[in-house]
Amino acid sequence: MKSKSFSFWLLTALAAFTLAAWPAQTAKIQVITTFTDLADFARAVGGRHVEVFSLATGVEDTHGIPMKPSFVPRLNRADLLVLVGLGCEHTFLPGLIEASRNPRLAYGHSGYVDCSVGIQPVEVPLSTDHSQGDVHPYGNPHYLLDPVLAKTAVSNICHALVQNFPQYKPDFEQNRDAYLAKLNAKIAEWEQVAKVLQGIEFVSYHEHWPYFADRFGLKYIGTIELKPGIDPTPRHIEELVMEMKADHVPVVVREPQFPEKVPALIAKQTGAKLVKLPIMPGGVPDTGTYLEMMDYIIHTMVQALPKLS
Amino acid sequence: MDRLKQQLKQIQESFAKEQQEMQARFERMVREQQAQIKALQQQIAAATNAVAGVMKTNQALAAPLQEMGEKVAQVVEAQKKVRPSEFNPSIGFVGDTLFSYNRRAATGEGPPRVGGWDVFQRGMELNVAASVDPFAQGYAVLNASADAQTGEANVEVEEAALETASLPANLELKAGRFFGEFGRLSYIHDHELPFVNRPLVLNRYIGGESQTEGVQASWLTPLPQYLDVTAGLGDKFGEDSNSPGAYRAFSQLDAWGRVSTYFDLSPNWQLEGGVSGLWGPRTGSAEQAAGGTAIARERRLAGVDIKVSYVPLRNNQFRSLVWGTELLHSGNRYLFDPDGVPGSADEYQAGVGCWGLYSYATYKWHRQWSGGCLFDWLEDPQGRGRQTFAFSPYLTWAISHWHFLRLQYTHTDYSGADLRANDAVFLQWCWIIGSHAHGWQAR
Repeated sequence: MKSKSFSFWLLTALAAFTLAAWPAQTAKIQVITTFTDLADFARAVGGRHVEVFSLATGVEDTHGIPMKPSFVPRLNRADLLVLVGLGCEHTFLPGLIEASRNPRLAYGHSGYVDCSVGIQPVEVPLSTDHSQGDVHPYGNPHYLLDPVLAKTAVSNICHALVQNFPQYKPDFEQNRDAYLAKLNAKIAEWEQVAKVLQGIEFVSYHEHWPYFADRFGLKYIGTIELKPGIDPTPRHIEELVMEMKADHVPVVVREPQFPEKVPALIAKQTGAKLVKLPIMPGGVPDTGTYLEMMDYIIHTMVQALPKLS
Repeated sequence: MDRLKQQLKQIQESFAKEQQEMQARFERMVREQQAQIKALQQQIAAATNAVAGVMKTNQALAAPLQEMGEKVAQVVEAQKKVRPSEFNPSIGFVGDTLFSYNRRAATGEGPPRVGGWDVFQRGMELNVAASVDPFAQGYAVLNASADAQTGEANVEVEEAALETASLPANLELKAGRFFGEFGRLSYIHDHELPFVNRPLVLNRYIGGESQTEGVQASWLTPLPQYLDVTAGLGDKFGEDSNSPGAYRAFSQLDAWGRVSTYFDLSPNWQLEGGVSGLWGPRTGSAEQAAGGTAIARERRLAGVDIKVSYVPLRNNQFRSLVWGTELLHSGNRYLFDPDGVPGSADEYQAGVGCWGLYSYATYKWHRQWSGGCLFDWLEDPQGRGRQTFAFSPYLTWAISHWHFLRLQYTHTDYSGADLRANDAVFLQWCWIIGSHAHGWQAR
């Protein structure tokens, strides 16, 4: 009798705990994005119908988001998973999707929103052999640093929302058009401001900037990393410094996720200006949104110029 | 007066003549301009027709262009879908070589090795994995390492299992031969360990890797807090199998379970923990024990594991600190025979309780460099009063993501036994080619 009573109270306590801890069901569409720029787009397009959570906070390296188990319950309940694609999230997303037990988010399913659909990638490798480093087999995935290509991502998010939740189609399309209008206006402004950057050569730590360089007419001549994901060797640094000196390369870009020591040394040896540029919103202070981040990038690059001449 | 009149008449005639000529010139100019206007009108009409034609042509081209665009998009998409399957199934290979010096022959510290200088190709591991269908994925891990005694390489299927991918209610099933989930490191392959050798307590109490042939169900509870519950059933766990070939009742299968959870202490600090249990019959051979011989009859193992990590979000590839500890209690039951003579009616069954643990800390200060120390302590599971201690400082140089060298010194000592302390130095050289997935378990 005593045992039965104990079992009863144990089961009651377990049930009470489960009910208390059960997530409050909200009517909002649960959207998980890998990065903060996509979260910004999803909030802009989804408006009041969505609740958005980004796995990255903005300060991380795009290829180094920690696989935290606390992400798993969120992914388990998500309606949409919005990602950059082109293999950008290969170090953490497959494992998280596997752990989430959410079939909607599996590749090819309705909740898997690959924002790279419609993007023509650059730097598609001829070989994925690891002698070339940790190359992305589908091409460089950092297209969101080109604001014109970012429009494709915005449209893809809208398309996925409409497909999955057609009842809100007018709202989503109106929000998308409003955001794209704002983005178009900013692009015109950035193109005007960035005219002085045309032809400017620069190097960066990781291969984040080919799309940005193409859009604004800069010349991207190399990376501090030996190969993608491979730290520089002394010989590589020496060769890079010689090349930069010969070409009078005026700018060294350091993404905040990478240590400052080597970029600072290269900048010092070549007389180039060292600038710290975020690769997603939140990477440096006052860059909470995509528009603020692009503003910061363009103006930081431009402000570096007078000191160069 | 007449002269003046004549002059006036001449002026009038001259003016009239000029007026006629001007009118004629004006009329000619008007005609020319009209002609020009007409020509221009004709040109405009022609141009308008041409524009209309171009527009018509454009309209005619729009559909094929759109079709071509769609085809290009399809090719790009097809490439994305085909690329992950170009290793169909995904294939990877791991090489793991140990160069070592042991002051004495090593037993119970991983694969038995001779004393002195030694080169051991511990891992020649082939990994294959692919989706079976939309509902399941399969994988296999084959390893060939040289036998410690004969030196011959034997291929062993370490794992070959099927995992479901779309069961309802957050369930996942795994069946086949695989590493069952007990604790934190027992189901990790050797080359994925943060140090060279598997902790002693896992070698002695579990039998190395937690290999089983069975089925395992895992349930992710639908709570905001990460809480995973796993339970499994199989006919072996670790390196021992339960009397292969004999009739086996259901109660003679091994059963195990684990509950694990996780807390974000801060954006940079994380805490993972779990409790595990294993129960199963055991039919071991007679071993020397305190006061005679002992034959293992029943296996009871419980464990608690904890891992605290400092992983700074901004530069986690360059800096981190991990502290992991696992405490195990073994309560195996044995058939003791004080005189060592079977059937002499003095045998009795009794449980032997013993404890063991490992604890390690690894600090990473560079993308390529990390170092740490592993501490081992355990009591003898047969109750012979022996305790084993070991400590192993290690230094890892990760040349790249797929290639590392690790140097480790291990001092092993014993108390309550006549075994002599051992010192060993290991240099591990490990590399990976081909597909290398970042799975959830190896996070």
